[in-house]
Amino acid sequence: MANISELINGWGFGRQGTITSPSITTPNTAATIWRHTNLNTKPWAKVPVNEDDRAEIGKGHEFPTQLFKSHYNMPTYELSKYASSEFLAWVMSFSLGNVTVAGSSAPYTYTIVPALGATNPTGLELPYFSFVQQIRPGGSAVLDEMLVGCAIKGWKLSIKNSPGRASAMCSCECVASGQYTSPSGITLPAASTPHEFNAGMISALTVNGINYLTGGSGKQFVSLDASWENNFRPGFFPGSGTQDGFQIQGRFEWGDRTFAVQFVVRVQAGSSEYSNLINQTTGTATITFTRDAQNSFTMTIQKMGFNVVELSNTDGIATLQVTGVQLYDATNGLVTMSIVTPQAGICQ
Amino acid sequence: MSVPTVFLESPNGDEIKEVEATTAILTPLMAAGWHQVPAPPKHETVILAGKKESN
Repeated sequence: MANISELINGWGFGRQGTITSPSITTPNTAATIWRHTNLNTKPWAKVPVNEDDRAEIGKGHEFPTQLFKSHYNMPTYELSKYASSEFLAWVMSFSLGNVTVAGSSAPYTYTIVPALGATNPTGLELPYFSFVQQIRPGGSAVLDEMLVGCAIKGWKLSIKNSPGRASAMCSCECVASGQYTSPSGITLPAASTPHEFNAGMISALTVNGINYLTGGSGKQFVSLDASWENNFRPGFFPGSGTQDGFQIQGRFEWGDRTFAVQFVVRVQAGSSEYSNLINQTTGTATITFTRDAQNSFTMTIQKMGFNVVELSNTDGIATLQVTGVQLYDATNGLVTMSIVTPQAGICQ
Repeated sequence: MSVPTVFLESPNGDEIKEVEATTAILTPLMAAGWHQVPAPPKHETVILAGKKESN
């Protein structure tokens, strides 16, 4: 027996394989695995699926008589964290795919944009990482396994008017191929201490020409939710591999990706959100967290318009709920993430 | 303090540039499919306005 609070998680901050030779089957080494806490208290379940012969005639009856190994149907797994420079750099790197890191010593600057299938060296595939989960690792471990070939399916970033760390949250949904090793063979390091942000650290918040941080609209902002979805296609194919005799997935290729942004602001005299919608005004959106010189995060949406602006009520205050539409700019693309963090080697 | 530089390879792999690692310079290149590569073993650097190009 073990309490779930004993569960510890670690995962690759570096990619499986190398940049020039990425791999879904080669696990991270211990040197490229960090350990973090997780607000999701569940372990990542493995779900092998059996099938039977109930549909086949010739048995003399309609009932199944045999079991056959089918495949590993791995559920998605959520990593839910307070937003930090380290975690944001990791999430954005592994979910968007085109990563540049600059700096020879801390802090490092990561610039990240969505990879394009036509120009991505790995086609429609994103970097892979390994995920380690352990309860009392050692000779009599309750749980000690490493899931190999994981990828980020999507993420959510939430900013809201509230005190503390919960005012800036980031969570991501991960998928796994089904390949694993048990015991993991990994000794996890001490838990990392991420450099977290909160909404009070926002140093730039401009959407489509409206500055929600200073000036006339400085007290309008209520909350923002941004999300990314890679819509992976199933990765079973001839030669995709097996684990324990069950078929596993050998690739995760993105499908039609989506980038959604919604935000809520208070209504005031002369609010320009409606006119931006009606006039089809587009512009950049910039959101920056600055904790210190070593830790910052900027999301720059290159060309944003408004799809819906709806008058509403948020906790008794008249508000506008705005749904953005993120347009692809011919020069600067869709979105750029720029992150400064002390952590080296993310997605390298 | 000088701006650090990075090496980017063109989408079709026929060119490597050394550029200043600023968001303004990196964004249009990365959006066009340029991606980071290790520094080539030997290169000459020619500093252009806001950019460095390597051969």
